[in-house]
Amino acid sequence: MGYAIVQTLNALSFSALLLLTGLGLSVVLSLMNFVNLAHGGFYLLGSYVAVLWLGSGAPWWLAFPAAFLAAGLAGAVLERFPFRRFYARPHLMQVLLTYGLSVIMADLMRWGFGAQILTPELPAALQGVVFLFDMPFPLYRLFLIGAGVALGLLLWLLLDRTLWGAVLRAAVTDRGIVETLGIDTRHLFAAVLVLSAGLGGLSGALGAGMLAAYPGLDEEVLILALVTVVVGGLGSFGGTVAGALVVGFALTFSKVWFPEFANVVAFSAMAGFLLLRPNGLIAPPLRQI
Amino acid sequence: MDRLHRRKNLRTGNSAPPSAPHLAPGRRLVLGGIAATLAGLPPARPTLAQTTLAQPSLPQPALVQARPVRIGMITSLSGPFTALGESMRAGMQLLLAQSGHRLAGRPVEFLVEDDLARSEEGARKARKLIGQDRVDLLCGVISSGVALALRDVVTEARTPTFLLGSANDLARGAASPFIVRPTKTNWMLGTTAARWAHEKLSGARVLTVGSDYAAGREYIGDFAATYQQLGGRLGRQLWTPLGSADFGPLLTTIAAERPEAVYGFFAGSDAVRFLRQWKEYRLAGRVPLFGAGAFFDQEDVLPAVGDAALGALGTFHQSPTAPASAAFNQAYMATGKPLPGEFSTTGYVCGQVIRATLERADGDLADWAKACGALFSAPVETAFGTMPFDPRNGQAILDIHVNEVRRGEDGRMVNTVLHTYEKLRDPGPDA
Amino acid sequence: MRDIPLSRAAPLAAALLALALAPLLAGAFHLRFLAEILLLGTAVMSLDLLVGLGGLVTLGHAALFGTAAYAAAIAALHLGGNLFLVLGAGTGAALLMAALMGVAIMRSSHLFLLILTLLLGQVAWEVAFHWREVTGGADGLRGLPPLSLGPWRLDGPRALFLLSGGLALAAYLLARSFADAPIGRALVGAREQPLRMSALGYSIPRIRFRAMLAAGGIAGAAGSLYPFLNLYVGPQSVHWSLSATMIIMLVIGGVGSLWGAFLGSAIYLALQTYVSAYTDRWQLFVGLVFVLIVLLLPRGLAGGLTGGLAGSLAGVLSRRGRP
Repeated sequence: MGYAIVQTLNALSFSALLLLTGLGLSVVLSLMNFVNLAHGGFYLLGSYVAVLWLGSGAPWWLAFPAAFLAAGLAGAVLERFPFRRFYARPHLMQVLLTYGLSVIMADLMRWGFGAQILTPELPAALQGVVFLFDMPFPLYRLFLIGAGVALGLLLWLLLDRTLWGAVLRAAVTDRGIVETLGIDTRHLFAAVLVLSAGLGGLSGALGAGMLAAYPGLDEEVLILALVTVVVGGLGSFGGTVAGALVVGFALTFSKVWFPEFANVVAFSAMAGFLLLRPNGLIAPPLRQI
Repeated sequence: MDRLHRRKNLRTGNSAPPSAPHLAPGRRLVLGGIAATLAGLPPARPTLAQTTLAQPSLPQPALVQARPVRIGMITSLSGPFTALGESMRAGMQLLLAQSGHRLAGRPVEFLVEDDLARSEEGARKARKLIGQDRVDLLCGVISSGVALALRDVVTEARTPTFLLGSANDLARGAASPFIVRPTKTNWMLGTTAARWAHEKLSGARVLTVGSDYAAGREYIGDFAATYQQLGGRLGRQLWTPLGSADFGPLLTTIAAERPEAVYGFFAGSDAVRFLRQWKEYRLAGRVPLFGAGAFFDQEDVLPAVGDAALGALGTFHQSPTAPASAAFNQAYMATGKPLPGEFSTTGYVCGQVIRATLERADGDLADWAKACGALFSAPVETAFGTMPFDPRNGQAILDIHVNEVRRGEDGRMVNTVLHTYEKLRDPGPDA
Repeated sequence: MRDIPLSRAAPLAAALLALALAPLLAGAFHLRFLAEILLLGTAVMSLDLLVGLGGLVTLGHAALFGTAAYAAAIAALHLGGNLFLVLGAGTGAALLMAALMGVAIMRSSHLFLLILTLLLGQVAWEVAFHWREVTGGADGLRGLPPLSLGPWRLDGPRALFLLSGGLALAAYLLARSFADAPIGRALVGAREQPLRMSALGYSIPRIRFRAMLAAGGIAGAAGSLYPFLNLYVGPQSVHWSLSATMIIMLVIGGVGSLWGAFLGSAIYLALQTYVSAYTDRWQLFVGLVFVLIVLLLPRGLAGGLTGGLAGSLAGVLSRRGRP
């Protein structure tokens, strides 16, 4: 009983991490049709900032906004040049550009932060553990699940329930009309990219407690996030949530049931899934012209 | 020499021409190489006249000694072993600096190449060092896969190589007359861990958990084999893919098994995540944990896991508290580095063995069989302790320490020697 | 893709000349290095059939290349290094893998295709990495017998270079004819106007499947020789990061230009081999070069070359060369 509950919670906490990393990627993808492979770099930057912040003795909870700001700033710089020129280009060119940038970012971070594996010193408040039917479950993971739910909700409210979100969605559908209304869509898109990069950094800060921070992590996280977003189906918020749950549960329970073949099973399952539903779990109705 | 003649795949006596002692090519040559490669033109090589002139001059030691000795190192400066590769290079550089960049009276030129922890990349870099940079000897390598890929490359080129990496096969099927192995094999650590477990945990049912790749399989397979041989009982054997993001599911499984002890092997980021989560899931302190090798590496893992590994036991040929390592610890930390772990020490020891080889051969490796014989004739004093070599396979015979992770004076975690198994010798060709 | 007649005769002659001259001039290391460039270049060129013609960006190409490498190595270990046996085993295995992948990509496109091929490639890698009894796992397979053709041993750098050169040339001609054949045109059509192509009665899944087979066969032929450069094969030859590297090579060389693949492979490998000796920051350098090319030369160096000065020069040459 406790075993099943804790393994489910394990899956949920990993799903929450996937959701956090996937959201940033999915926001630019669904709203701006922009594939950003540098997202893993934003994530890792956030991790490093959080590790350094938590090691510095400053109030621990400020580490998360700090990571958001640092990655958002990096996003703002990259948005001005060269992302902005590539919004209207085909996906292939976006993939290539952002992949190249991710290589540069990764090497710069290795230069700046070193090649050592760094881990954050978690505050005492998050180090505890709860016992469920005599099975231990770390408090930090409950915090992750909570953060995932809260951030997901906030983002959904922002995009779906505010005027800003409405303008944004309108600009995605028809940029010209929104421009004629006197709204500068360039600023709008820039804001979305900064938000996405910031989310990447924030998820890095939250994930550092679980995944640590080291060169190469950016790539690992990027792959997980991409798989999450794609399995969920591009272009919808609900899809990313569903994708995070599917991937999180697949990866966790393949480890529970077939630890030795965990990756083969999980990858095959996801590939099979994409074969059956080539457009992901929740595909927005699209009309081909 | 004996060893050379006994090998069946040997195409050589000791009269074959040595790798040609060309004049040292400079960067110009390398740049020329780029251009040449792009243009499909030949590299700027020494002319025929130089080559033929240089070879007859070999037997005259005075000329040989004036020439710098070129040492090529292949290590991982990007990819998953970056931090280890940087440590290895730092260890070697420290030894060269201490020797005043002269070994056996010859100035040293030290060239480092990055293998990205990829075998094909390592093989290409080795060929470059041998074929273009004309190194006198090669050393290095973190990944056993790269080491195994290099085996045939250096054997074919007849380049003396001090090959690190720890796959058992390197001391067995892949041994080569041109390869010296101044480090451990996985078997040495796995089997001593089993002996220690048998002595101290008498009869405990041990659950094993490890990274599912070649090294993990060897560390755990050799442990399991020896432990069962000694009459120990094994519990479940769990494997997890290399590079697992989340150990939560695995640790929950372990917690549900309620094992009497856990033996494991992970390396690098896997080790860090496993140990931190080991503590988060409250297994630390409740279940005895022991392991082998890089699992509790002093430089790579322990600084990143806080007190999560406190009390854990590991078998290793390296320990910062081993007496032989003391002088190296001092010198290494004086360069602003932390307490040394496996790969910085290995890099340094590799340098010490190279130095001993050159000194015993009077700086002349032209007759490799003779130089090798001199190296194997007596042990070398190294930071791993007194190191004799097994002449059958060029494998070092090592003291293996049982380390306990303890809190040091400054509050940091330190691998502390509890016991030492002396003179472990890999079964080598007998296995 | 546009056909530029000048990019045919003159470069082909130059390539033949280089192939003939290099063994006389280059040293052992450089010959082997060139052989590696040619083999990887061939694989990249086959990727160009998918990316350049069909707009199908896949991250699973290393799975084809690496499967062939393992199949060839295993065949050689058990049955000896006969060239035709090795080529047959490798290419056959790659074709099988390509058929699997072809089925997968029939209905998929864009990012879904990218991720699906990534996942399939990762499954292939997991198999190579874990099936220790057959593949040697992380340690790979060592001690392969050298290639042989009747009484000749093909293990010297010169033989390997000529072999790779011959293979690259044959593969180039094959790829060229594929691109010019109706199937190649149909592939371009399926990329540009999928609806119209369907309306014209073409089956897009079938076109894609065939393109995948063609690409897989060529990549497989290159992959089957790859282990014999070092008499070693390891799991990195299947890993998706090699697929990503191939895409980088393709972009540097020029998407859509078949011979650009060789240029891209040469430049990437030369950067990786030579710059890393000087600085730990070589990845920064590679990244910068790559980004600059994407920004300034979206059609790659091949596109830049044919479009620019070299283009006009070659144009003159080709006009003269015509009867």
